[in-house]
Amino acid sequence: MAVSLECRGLYFSYRHLPVLKNLSLRARAGRFCAVLGRNGSGKTTLLHCLNRTLTADTGTILIHGKDIGSMSQNRIARKISLVPQEHMDIFPYRVLDVVVMGRAPFLKISQQPGPWDYEIAQNSLNCLNAGSLAMKNFNRISGGERQIVLLARALTQASHIMLLDEPTNHLDFNNQYHLLSSIRSLCRVKNLCIIASMHDPNMAALFADDVIMISKGSIMACGPSEEVMTERNISDLYGTCINSVQLTAGKKIFFPDNIFRNTDQ
Amino acid sequence: MNFKRIKKPVPWLCLALACLFIVSVSIGRACVNPSDIFRFIYHLYTGDSAGPTPGELVFWWIRVPRCVMAILVGSSLAVSGAVYQALFRNPLVSPDILGVSAGCTFGAALALVLPFDSFSLVNIMSLSFGLIAVTMSVGLARVIAVKPVIVLVLAGMVVLSFFNAMLMVLKYFSDPYDELPSIIFWVMGSLSRVTWDNVLVMAPFTLSGLILFMIIGFRLNIISLGDIQAKSLGLNPVFFRRLLITTGSFMVAGSVATCGQIAWVGLIIPHMARALAGPEHEKMIPVTALLGAVFLLGADSAARTMSTAEIPVGIITALTGAPVFGYLMFRNRGAGWL
Repeated sequence: MAVSLECRGLYFSYRHLPVLKNLSLRARAGRFCAVLGRNGSGKTTLLHCLNRTLTADTGTILIHGKDIGSMSQNRIARKISLVPQEHMDIFPYRVLDVVVMGRAPFLKISQQPGPWDYEIAQNSLNCLNAGSLAMKNFNRISGGERQIVLLARALTQASHIMLLDEPTNHLDFNNQYHLLSSIRSLCRVKNLCIIASMHDPNMAALFADDVIMISKGSIMACGPSEEVMTERNISDLYGTCINSVQLTAGKKIFFPDNIFRNTDQ
Repeated sequence: MNFKRIKKPVPWLCLALACLFIVSVSIGRACVNPSDIFRFIYHLYTGDSAGPTPGELVFWWIRVPRCVMAILVGSSLAVSGAVYQALFRNPLVSPDILGVSAGCTFGAALALVLPFDSFSLVNIMSLSFGLIAVTMSVGLARVIAVKPVIVLVLAGMVVLSFFNAMLMVLKYFSDPYDELPSIIFWVMGSLSRVTWDNVLVMAPFTLSGLILFMIIGFRLNIISLGDIQAKSLGLNPVFFRRLLITTGSFMVAGSVATCGQIAWVGLIIPHMARALAGPEHEKMIPVTALLGAVFLLGADSAARTMSTAEIPVGIITALTGAPVFGYLMFRNRGAGWL
């Protein structure tokens, strides 16, 4: 399988506070890669560096073998899309107008989106079973729907690599599963390379193909989900003792060891 | 959506503007019959042998440039307001946010206090101080260099209060019988001194700004999402911010330098345009420009004709603008921008 996105020796610091230290990773097309780590471990910074929203101090990032350092922001945006953490917009745009913004990298600076662009946008919405949202006010739909709309925008934008920043943030129990299975099926059907930062190791274990664990700005473990997602790795990552129960062959559920001890006393 | 959108507001507004223009050039202290207007144009074309009548002179050298200027200033203020609201991601921003108007007003007051008695000096000083004020805001924000958008607003407030304080100093030390009234009248804003020269200076600012903003209308939607999303959608937000602030500042400084501070146009007209055409900038920018032109032309006609003495147009715009804004907030309370 082809390597879609690769980064080597990535360093990044805010002012004098180092955040990413010598980080290297590879992500492949058609694979869902989850990034796990504690708060402040550098997950969001990593995603922002990968599409040059932030410029790394040193290190190279390659898309299909080409260095993005020499590319324009526009050319990067044609290959990589980013779904930010849930956001609320100032102006009450229609959902379809939000989705069609994903066409921006393909339009000339003076061009307005035409019927063809709106058709692409509508198709992306339909693809996620959200076609009926098109004419609604983006600020008045639910958080789950909003996340789906932003996913549709990312789908409109780039057909290669998608970066998701905590996609299940603020979503209810059912919507989390719904969204992640949509993302996984997109990944398979469109042969997308997906890198998503996640908080819940169980979700990562259920949906992701590969897992990257980041601790204090460098990689602690990475590889296929079933190899990396062990009690020991997760215990090290979050700094508490983690236990697990076997669900089916190869699928486990993880939980902190101390939750039962405390209630029993 | 909570408010009704009109299908095609642009042709209707063009028609309204044309009608209002004809009415506006006709009324005033020297009333011109609409049928006379065609005669005046005919005379201008043929070169009447008898020479122009006083009515004709008033019409061509006072009335017409004033109405043209009202259109230019109204659309400039309204459109730069709309652009600044997108840029700062804040629907309550007006084009004064970076201290342009405060700088312009100080420059004008300084020129009025200085011994040279020339209106073009007032215009030039006003324009330059407006641009200096913006440069100071942007420079201060660049030195601080974190969270660019919020810092820009704060730097603008710093510069704005600085120039307001300087204006107070000038007012305090100025001659209360001669200079102070002219400063106060200037601050309230009026189109009464407009000449063709002012129009010729202002027109390039307005037209180039309007054309630019209409061309990049779709990109303004993306700018309004904030830096991170703009960048991941392939835009360079720093470049766009510079371009928009520069153009907007020239438009506002040009307006304030000739007409003084005209309140509320830059704040409420974009909201009215959004209520009419929707928030997408590629649709709302032309509507904003036309609405701003109609609003200021109407307000200026009222300022000229409501009483025998001229009322400063800034008073009219604030008096009508404030309640209209209150009503708009009430109408659109569920639409999501509050």
